[in-house]
Amino acid sequence: MAEKTNAISREEELKKLSTMSTIRSLLPLGGLIVIFIIFNVLTEGRMIKNMPLVLSPIYVTLISATGVFFIMTMGGLDFSQGSIMGIASIVVCVVSKVNIPLAIIAGIAAGAAIGALNGFFYVNRKIKSFIVTICTMFLFRGIIKYLTSNAPVAGSAKLVLMNNDTLKLVCTIVVLVLGFIAFRFTKFGMHLRAIGAGEKAAKFAGIRTDRTKFFIYMLAGAITGFAAFINVIKVGSVTSSGGNQLETQILIALVLGGMPISGGAKARFQSVVIGSLLYTVLSSGLTMMGLETQAMQLIQGLVFLVFVAVFADRQSLQVIK
Amino acid sequence: MSEVRLQVQNLCKTFGITKAVQNVSFNINKGEVHALIGENGSGKSTLTNMLTGIYTIDSGHFILDGKEVHPKNQVEANNEGISIIVQELGTLSGLTVAENIFLGHEDRFVKFGIKNTGAMNRQAQDLLNKYGFNRIRSNAMVDDYNFEDRKLVEIVKATYFQPKIVVIDETTTALSQEGREELYKHMNRIRAEGNTIIFISHDLPEVLRMSDTITILRDGVYIDTVKSSDVTEDDLKKLMVGREDTGDYYRADYGEDISSEVVMKVENVTVPGLIHNINFELHKGEILGFGGLSESGMHEIGKACFGASFDREGSVTLADGTQIDSIPTAIAHSIAYTSKDRDNESVVMNQGIGDNICLPSLDKMKGALGLLSDSKMKAFANEYAKEMSVKMVNTNQFVSDLSGGNKQKVVLARWIGKDSDILVLDSPTRGIDIKVKQDIYQLMDKMRKNGKSIIMISEELMELIGMCDRILIMKDGEINGELLRSPELDENSLIAKMV
Repeated sequence: MAEKTNAISREEELKKLSTMSTIRSLLPLGGLIVIFIIFNVLTEGRMIKNMPLVLSPIYVTLISATGVFFIMTMGGLDFSQGSIMGIASIVVCVVSKVNIPLAIIAGIAAGAAIGALNGFFYVNRKIKSFIVTICTMFLFRGIIKYLTSNAPVAGSAKLVLMNNDTLKLVCTIVVLVLGFIAFRFTKFGMHLRAIGAGEKAAKFAGIRTDRTKFFIYMLAGAITGFAAFINVIKVGSVTSSGGNQLETQILIALVLGGMPISGGAKARFQSVVIGSLLYTVLSSGLTMMGLETQAMQLIQGLVFLVFVAVFADRQSLQVIK
Repeated sequence: MSEVRLQVQNLCKTFGITKAVQNVSFNINKGEVHALIGENGSGKSTLTNMLTGIYTIDSGHFILDGKEVHPKNQVEANNEGISIIVQELGTLSGLTVAENIFLGHEDRFVKFGIKNTGAMNRQAQDLLNKYGFNRIRSNAMVDDYNFEDRKLVEIVKATYFQPKIVVIDETTTALSQEGREELYKHMNRIRAEGNTIIFISHDLPEVLRMSDTITILRDGVYIDTVKSSDVTEDDLKKLMVGREDTGDYYRADYGEDISSEVVMKVENVTVPGLIHNINFELHKGEILGFGGLSESGMHEIGKACFGASFDREGSVTLADGTQIDSIPTAIAHSIAYTSKDRDNESVVMNQGIGDNICLPSLDKMKGALGLLSDSKMKAFANEYAKEMSVKMVNTNQFVSDLSGGNKQKVVLARWIGKDSDILVLDSPTRGIDIKVKQDIYQLMDKMRKNGKSIIMISEELMELIGMCDRILIMKDGEINGELLRSPELDENSLIAKMV
C-alpha cells in the first residue's frame, strides 16, 4: 500500500520534473522569438527588412558550433576555435591561388591538425581541455599575427566571386544535417552523450573513450577548417584578428541555445541552430541600435552570465573536463 | 541498567504524499546497541536523519534524557550529544586528518583570531593514538589515506567527544572484514561507556551479533522491537518483509560436478602493486568466487579479466584462443563486468535507464540505412528492464534517481541484454536490501544452469559460501587457497586463509 503511494508520488514528481525540463527546452526558442520581436519594434522593422544582412555572419557560427557542440556534449570545452578559424582561413587563402577545391581540403586539414594537437594534449597528456585549448588559442593567435604582420593575407579573387547566400546556405545545411544524424542516430552520438554523462562508466560499458575524445577534437577542428572556407569567401582576406573571439561566440550561442554546460544526456542538437540564431539576432540587433563594440561585449557578457546562472543544471553539473 | 536514553514519540515525516515515517514511537536505552532494520525505503535513514538534523521533523518528538531535542543541523546535533557515521565517504578531501576531526569545532583552537594548527594536530594525534590508529598522521591530508582509513578517521570524528548517541548508518557495507572488526571494537567500547549506538545495517548476521535490541520498520511504520537474543535471522526476515520468505535465498544444491570445459584461462597475471602472478581457470556453468580482505587484490582480478587493468602483465585467454586485453575486446567476446564502484564504473549516472541498458548492444539497434532506431532501443530497454523488474517510471528516467539495488538491476539488465556468457560480478549485492539480493542470487543460479560462467568477487563471506562452486581466497595479491562447495563450509575456514 505504502509502496504504491510511494510510486505514485514519484511519478508525479517526475512528471513535474519533465514538465520543467520541457519548459526549459522551449525557453531558448521562446527567447529567440521575443528578442526578435523586441528588436523589430525597437528598430521599427529595419531588422526584418534586412534579414539577409542580419543573418550573414550566422553560417560560420552554425558550422563551427556543430563541432563544438560535439565537444561540449562529451563534457569538454574548446577555446581555440577562433585561432583554428584564423589559421585555416590563411591556409585557404594561400592555397586558393593554386586551386579552389584543394584550398577547401587544405583548410579542413589545417583545422584537423590543430584539433589533433588539442586532442593529443588533452587525451595523452591528460590536461584539462580548457587549459589545453586556451594554450593553443594563444599559440596559434601568435602565429596568425606573425603571418599577417606585414599585410593581410588575401585569397584568390575567384574566392570572393563565389560569395553568394545559396552556396553558404547549402554548405551550412549539409553540415547541420550530417551533424544531426551523426549525433542522434549513430553509435558515435550515443557514445558522446555517455562520455558526457559519466566517462568512467562509459569506458566500462565498452566505449573507447580516449579514441573518441581525440577524434572529436580533431573533427571539431576539421569542421571549423571547413567553415574557414565560408569565412574567406565572405571577407576575402585574413587580418591579424581573423577569427578572433569565434570561440566565445560559439560558446555563448550554444549556451543560449540551451546546451547544458557539462554536456551529457541532456544535450540537444537544436541548441546549435536556435543558439546561433539567438546570438546572431542579439548581436545584429545591438549593432542596429547603434551600440559600440565595447558596449556589445559588455552586454554579451551579461546575457551569458545570466543565462548560465539561471539555467545551469546544478544537479548534473560536474567539473568540466 | 536499562535506563531510557531516547524516546521517539509519534514521529512523522512526509515527502510530498509519500509517508516516509508514520507515527513511529519506541524507546532506546542507555548502554545498548540498538539496531534499526527494514528494507530499502522503510524509513530507517529518514528517522536518523531527523535525529541528526539533516531533515526537519513534521510532527512528533525526540526526548533525549528527558529533554526534547530538535537539532537544526549536524553541528547542533553534535552539541546535543548526537553524532553520525554515514555509509559513504564522510570526510572532506583537501583537508588534513586533524581538520576533518575537528570540523565545525575549530574555534577551540583559535586565539586572537589565529588558529593554532600545531595544537590541533597534537590533540588529533593524541585521539588517533588513543583509538589505536597510530599509523594515521593527524597532519597528513585525508586524501593520502584509502577508503578504510578515512572511515577510521570518521569514527574518531564522530565519537571522540563521547556523544550520548552515535548513529552508524550502513557503514559496514563499505568496509572490509578488518575495517568492520575495528568498527565493532569501538561500538563495544562506546556501549561499555554507557552510551548508545543506533546501528543501521542490511547484514542480518552482523545485526544479530552486534546489537542488544532490534527495532524493525516496514514502509515507514513501526513493526516491533525485539531482543537480539530472542530471535533468529529468519524471524527478522519475516518481520521485515511481512510475509514468509518464498523460495531459496542462496542456491540449494550441493555435489554437482563442475563441467570440465574451460571458458577462460588466466595465466601469470600481474598488476604491479595489486596482484601478483595469478593463475586460474573458469569452467562452463560455474560460479567461481573470490574472497579476501578488501586490499587483498581480489577486486583487481575482476578488472584484469575484463581487460580494464592498467599495466597488466600475463594473459587472459578464452576457449577459442582470444586474448582479452581491452574492455571492447572483452565485451565483444561476451564478457560482462559489474564494478564494486557502482556509481562511477557501472552505471552512467546522468543518463536514462534505456540508454544505459542499450549502450554495449548498439550494433543490434540498427534500422534503416544503418542508423540507430529509437523504437528498437526502446523495445530492447523495456524488455530487459522488465526481465530484471527494475522499479522505474519509464526507461527515460535517469539512473541517478534510482536506489542502489535498482541501479544494479539496470547494470545486470544491460549484460543480460548483451547475452554475455562470462559474467564478472564484483560485490554484486553491496548495499542492497534482502529482496533484491535474493533476486540477484536467483538470477545467478538461473544463468549458471543456462551454462553461463560467473566470477563472483565479494567481501560477504556468507554469499560466497552460499553461491559458489569454488572459492579462491586472496591474500596480499596472491591466491592463498581454494575451497570447494560444501554444506560444511563455514566463514571461519575462509577467514583462516584470508588473514
